[in-house]
Amino acid sequence: MNTRPEGDRFELLAAANEVADSTLLLANTAARLLGLVVPAFADIATLDSISPGGELHRLGSRVDAPRGREELEAALLRRHPLPDAPVGLPRAIVSSESQLLARVTDADLHAIASSDEDFELLRALELRSALFIPLRARGRTVGALALGVGTSGRSYDEDDLRFAEVLSGRIALALDNTTLSQTVTGLERRLEATLTNLAEAVLVREAGGQIVFANSAAARLLNIDSAHDVTEASPQQLMNLYDVFDEDGRRLELADLPSSRAGRGEDAAPLLVRNIIRATGEERWLLHKATPVFDPDGSLSLIVSVIEDLTEVKRAELAQRLLAEAGQELSSSLDYGHTLQRVAELTVPRLADWCAIAMRDGDLLPQVAVAHVDIGKVARVRDFEARHPAHLSDPTGAAEVIRSGEALLVPEIVAEVLADVALTEEEFELARELELRSVIIVPLAIADQAPIGALSLATAESGRRLDETDLALASELGRRAAIAVENARLYGELSEIATTLQRSLLPPDLPAMPGFRTASLYRAAGEQNEVGGDFYDVFEVLGGWMVVVGDVAGRGAEAAALTSLSRYTFRTAGKLLGDPIAALEQLNTALRESPALSLVSVCCVRLRTVDADAYADLVLAGHPPAYHVRRGSSRPVGVFAPFLGAYEHGGWEATTIKLDPGDQLILYTDGVIDTVGVEERFGEERLARTLSGATGAPDAVRRIEQALVEFAHGSQVDDTAVIAVERTSRGPVETNALGLGDAARVAPN
Amino acid sequence: MGLSSHLTLDTRRSGEAAVVSVGGDIDLTTFGAVESTLDAARGQCTVLVLDLRAVGFMDTSGLRLVISHQQRAEASGYRFVVVPGSDRVRRLFEIAGFPDGHPLFAGAPPELAGGDGG
Repeated sequence: MNTRPEGDRFELLAAANEVADSTLLLANTAARLLGLVVPAFADIATLDSISPGGELHRLGSRVDAPRGREELEAALLRRHPLPDAPVGLPRAIVSSESQLLARVTDADLHAIASSDEDFELLRALELRSALFIPLRARGRTVGALALGVGTSGRSYDEDDLRFAEVLSGRIALALDNTTLSQTVTGLERRLEATLTNLAEAVLVREAGGQIVFANSAAARLLNIDSAHDVTEASPQQLMNLYDVFDEDGRRLELADLPSSRAGRGEDAAPLLVRNIIRATGEERWLLHKATPVFDPDGSLSLIVSVIEDLTEVKRAELAQRLLAEAGQELSSSLDYGHTLQRVAELTVPRLADWCAIAMRDGDLLPQVAVAHVDIGKVARVRDFEARHPAHLSDPTGAAEVIRSGEALLVPEIVAEVLADVALTEEEFELARELELRSVIIVPLAIADQAPIGALSLATAESGRRLDETDLALASELGRRAAIAVENARLYGELSEIATTLQRSLLPPDLPAMPGFRTASLYRAAGEQNEVGGDFYDVFEVLGGWMVVVGDVAGRGAEAAALTSLSRYTFRTAGKLLGDPIAALEQLNTALRESPALSLVSVCCVRLRTVDADAYADLVLAGHPPAYHVRRGSSRPVGVFAPFLGAYEHGGWEATTIKLDPGDQLILYTDGVIDTVGVEERFGEERLARTLSGATGAPDAVRRIEQALVEFAHGSQVDDTAVIAVERTSRGPVETNALGLGDAARVAPN
Repeated sequence: MGLSSHLTLDTRRSGEAAVVSVGGDIDLTTFGAVESTLDAARGQCTVLVLDLRAVGFMDTSGLRLVISHQQRAEASGYRFVVVPGSDRVRRLFEIAGFPDGHPLFAGAPPELAGGDGG
């Protein structure tokens, strides 16, 4: 082979390098390599690869012969070298050393051949000289090259062996690269198969940004026909298909997403985004996670993004939170105008871009709340509303929903629908201006009751399309708002009733009684205007005056009604009958007629004068004793007897006492003696002590009030009523109505 | 002595009687619980005893409860007995026309009648 010019050999090496650098399929690589060495360096060549398990796999064969070339090549390709042959390929592989057979003898052929047939094949090749070279790459034998010369009449020497070894190095590299890339390709295929079938959306971007892989879950999630179409698009093109917001409603750009951040080498913490598909308006909550993949040299190779669809979870969570917060708002205040405005604000932008609540007021439907992501548009809507108040007879919109009680969902507003739904050109313009996309209108209604209003939600800027889930949430919101409004209304009515009743239960001014003067105190329980059950009254009867203090067991509207009934029944009966016991019996009968057990305690006094003397006929019914103060000392008066309303006959008894000038008679309700102090209740004894030394009716009342203020601990739980009557000789009659903290109005005694 | 409205309730059998023992305060804020406990106990006996010995304070809501049960007992043929306990509660009963010795207080099981209510 020395005849071959050096230049040819260099060309051969260069060509082998080229093959080694290209990553081709293994079979092609083998064919190209064998094509390089035959006929330039050999007449016969075979190339084998060796698997990591040691298995020999023939990759190709090449023969340069005048006749039967293809048959020989095919036979060589099928040939399995004898594994334990003392010479030839197997030996080169086992020993990892190249072997030169300068002259191939028949003995060599016999040693190499695995059978007679094999021997005949080797003979047919007319082999004269052979080289067997193991192919080593990365420290292991990856294959073997067999080279032979025959028909050309050449033979190999040591120089040829060294060249063949150098060449084999390149061939080994080419083979290794191909095998390696094939292994990687196999891995990739397995990985791809895994990713493709993964439920999570997976996107792989190259460092340059190009999407090289997307699975079908990604395509579905991004609303793109196929995974292939995803890889055809650039990330920015994809981004343009959506409106993307963070959890707080801020618009996000491509650069904000974790994959972009990872690409810039920044911290790529998972990011939850609200993705609205522009084409359909569909909302999806997506958790973006990105992981950078680096090359061995540390440069960024790929960014793997996994996108998780959290729409259901997130919407359920939002719905719960929205309802909880709305519930809090709705129960926090009884001012429902303010409350509904807060509820409207809660829905924006989480549920919609726009929310309006209209309440039915007769035939009008005034808007009581409007919220919009854009404050300017709120003003625009309010202005429109002011000029065009909605009317219950309007054919569509909130009016229709309030009339029918049926919720309305228009997922996609198209111009024709808009023209149909809107009433006037101006409204149409307003809707266009607001860029409404999707609308929900739900009634504010408590089950089976006529709607009291309507809550409208609409999307515009976000481009989001409202769906059945939103409708369900909005309906629940409407129901809760309705309950809250009803409660507020009931309470409002109640406190109005309470105020009215309270006024009706107490005489605005005690009438002037000749020969007597009076003072009174009334303290309603607690902060709420819930009406209590205490009442007092002073009125003229035949031959004198009637003074009464009463207490109805219970509180609230029922007690208030009973209190009113008691006061007026007693007044009427007292005026007609003139006798306290007869009046009480009349009230007892009235109370017994009411279906529920209605108990009233009363202390009533008839004041009458006989000549110049004044007398009091005092009757108790379930009531603590009155106090008679004479010359500064107090004593209880009255005979205990049952409540009014408890029994048919109560056996009430009058106690008659003479009232000297300066004597006082103090009537009170149990709110006085039940008043809670730091350690105990006020009690009868403390009341008796308080009244000791009282110098007149106003002084007696002032003493009680002062004592209660000093004694009381915590909020007052019961109504307190006190009325004091003082016998003045024949002086001028004075009356005083004393309210809470109104001691200044008490005339000095 | 705490004056915030607190309440303890206990129902037990004593022969033919169901005894509802109340402790604490009976007022507007607590009488509902006493009422439902009494109602629940009523169906299980021929004698219903309301043991008020551990009651520190009672207002007219308590009296209303007692009168209501007294009337229902008459109508439905079971006996209703009250063990009043403290002076304050006795005083309230007295004001309402139930002096000591009133039939309302008669017929409690011996172990109750012999207590500080006797």
